Amino acid sequence: MSTYDVELKDIVKVFESGGARVRAVDRVSVEIEDGEFFALLGPSGCGKTTTLRLIAGFEQPTSGHILIRGRAMEGIPAYHRPVNTVFQDYALFPHLTVEQNIMFGLQMEGVDKKEARKRALEALEQVRLPGVGERMPHHLSGGQQQRVALARALVKQPAVLLLDEPLGALDLKLRKNMQFELKALQRDVGITFIYVTHDQEEAITMADRIAVMNEGLMLQVGTPKEIYEHPQTHFVADFIGETNFIPGALLQRGGDGFGQVKLADGTVIRAQLSHALDSAAKAVTVAVRPERIGIAAPSDRPAQEIDGLTALDAVLAGSQYIGTDTRYTLALGDEIELVARLQNVNNIDSAAFQAGQRVKVYWDESSTTVLDQ
Amino acid sequence: MLINEGAMQRNRRIRRLGQVGLRLNPIFAYFFLWAPILVLVLFSFNSSRSVASFTGFTLKWYGNILNNMMGAESAFSTELMLNAFRNSLFVGTVATAISTVLGTMIALAMARGRFPGKGLIDGLLFLPVVIPEITQAISLAIFFKVAFDWFALMSGERVFPGFHTIIAAHVTFNISYVAIVVRARLANMNPRLEEAANDLGANPWRAFWRVTFPLILPGVISGALLAFTLSLDDFVITFFTSGVGTTTLPVFVYGLLKLTVTPEVNAISTIMMVLSTLLIGISLALQGRSASRL
Repeated sequence: MSTYDVELKDIVKVFESGGARVRAVDRVSVEIEDGEFFALLGPSGCGKTTTLRLIAGFEQPTSGHILIRGRAMEGIPAYHRPVNTVFQDYALFPHLTVEQNIMFGLQMEGVDKKEARKRALEALEQVRLPGVGERMPHHLSGGQQQRVALARALVKQPAVLLLDEPLGALDLKLRKNMQFELKALQRDVGITFIYVTHDQEEAITMADRIAVMNEGLMLQVGTPKEIYEHPQTHFVADFIGETNFIPGALLQRGGDGFGQVKLADGTVIRAQLSHALDSAAKAVTVAVRPERIGIAAPSDRPAQEIDGLTALDAVLAGSQYIGTDTRYTLALGDEIELVARLQNVNNIDSAAFQAGQRVKVYWDESSTTVLDQ
Repeated sequence: MLINEGAMQRNRRIRRLGQVGLRLNPIFAYFFLWAPILVLVLFSFNSSRSVASFTGFTLKWYGNILNNMMGAESAFSTELMLNAFRNSLFVGTVATAISTVLGTMIALAMARGRFPGKGLIDGLLFLPVVIPEITQAISLAIFFKVAFDWFALMSGERVFPGFHTIIAAHVTFNISYVAIVVRARLANMNPRLEEAANDLGANPWRAFWRVTFPLILPGVISGALLAFTLSLDDFVITFFTSGVGTTTLPVFVYGLLKLTVTPEVNAISTIMMVLSTLLIGISLALQGRSASRL
């Protein structure tokens, strides 16, 4: 018996349309644990929804294996899989009442009508939408329909709940509220959630682990912190949050996971190597998050001498006040431009540096990641 | 400026003439469309037997039909007509039942299925709608003749045209109409609904009857009503595929016309028109109803 709820082993899905073969999902392998909130994150067309549909059984993989609770899913149709889906457009049955919608799945299991009705009402309570059982779906608001779709899937008590951009159609405020509610609900029921989204913030705030996908490939799997702090590829670093990319040449690899990178202006810095870095890579990119970069006056000598700190000379090109932070543009020589974000802790900070001023920029070596170019 | 004023006035006059013309245009169009039918309806209430002049309002001809139908004494023998009407209902009912089932199945295959040559088959579906009725009628007549000859050659049994040929012929053109109407309904239906049903544990059979069928039912009924109306009204194809003793109402009316235009024919035609309009009206109402909900 496997300890995982869902295992994908080398999944490939090829779509053929008009003679063109498109690899929607390309050699995806991942293990999802019981009770985990797992997000599939990526831009539209990256293969995240196809991956979800493969798990649900709406599509069959071209090759590879899907296991749910240790059981191989080959040849098992959607209606026999212990998973349920919350569709992006909810897909509520328009000819049935809310209550009948929720009872549908139970009746398919052979639960008698009275019991099914009781459990449907409980499910409506669970999603905090009591008293709408007699209504028709099209009489409900988008947010309410979303809850009904959730109740309809949860009432089946599936091993895994699949959610396909469930909050995509809601307005921003409602979406924020639903994020908290969904997360709380997931903790309550303890069901594994596989959550497809293109919204990085949604994934970071809700998920236990995130898988970032692009062009059918699962680029990186990790906790939101790992994904944000240590992106392993250029795409992941770029897709999630804002990042500075500094081109350079990798001179030397240390045994401690750090390497020496020579930047365009000739300075050599120490930076942390990505696990996914090509072993033969020479031309690389150093990624640093803007909020990890500090700015100091050029006279601030001691900053350079602290162990593990990289300090470079720069010219402040400009600044932009954005409320909580101030965003500084910095020039390192003629070729490198950096963005730094400093929190506006007090009023003095934001006025401390002037455009055109020579400054020192510094960051902790462990805040960097050396990626393939 | 003075010259311009004259030109402007002329322009204004032309524009006003154009506006009057535009208003008159639909009146003429509707007149051409409806005048013959109005004349027919009018003369079905004419007290004179002749269509030369309208001499007064009467319900006599309707009364004649009704009396005869009830078995009372009447100046007009409706026995043949009633028989023809019964034949029409029989042909219409059977042809509608068959074509509704087949047409719905085709619509489902076209909307949901993935198979080679789908585009071609899809295009062929519209053929009976666009090819001239007379072409279809003759082709069916020839087809039945060839088929029966071949059957006679193979089995030694002779088969003659009759209800079976009329029904088969009606099914061939009705299928297209049913399929087109049901397909329009399916095209408006979210395919995720069937997936949702599967997802909730319904196998394809149960998903069809619990979700798909209730949602396309208005389309199916609408298609069936359309098929029934077409079947009831059809003259050309029926005329070419009928045998002995299978006269339907339109064929019967045509036969009456060859003898003389009796006022009862006007009355029957009016009744048929009202019936057809009613059925088509229901069909259209069903197509429009709750389409937005899907």
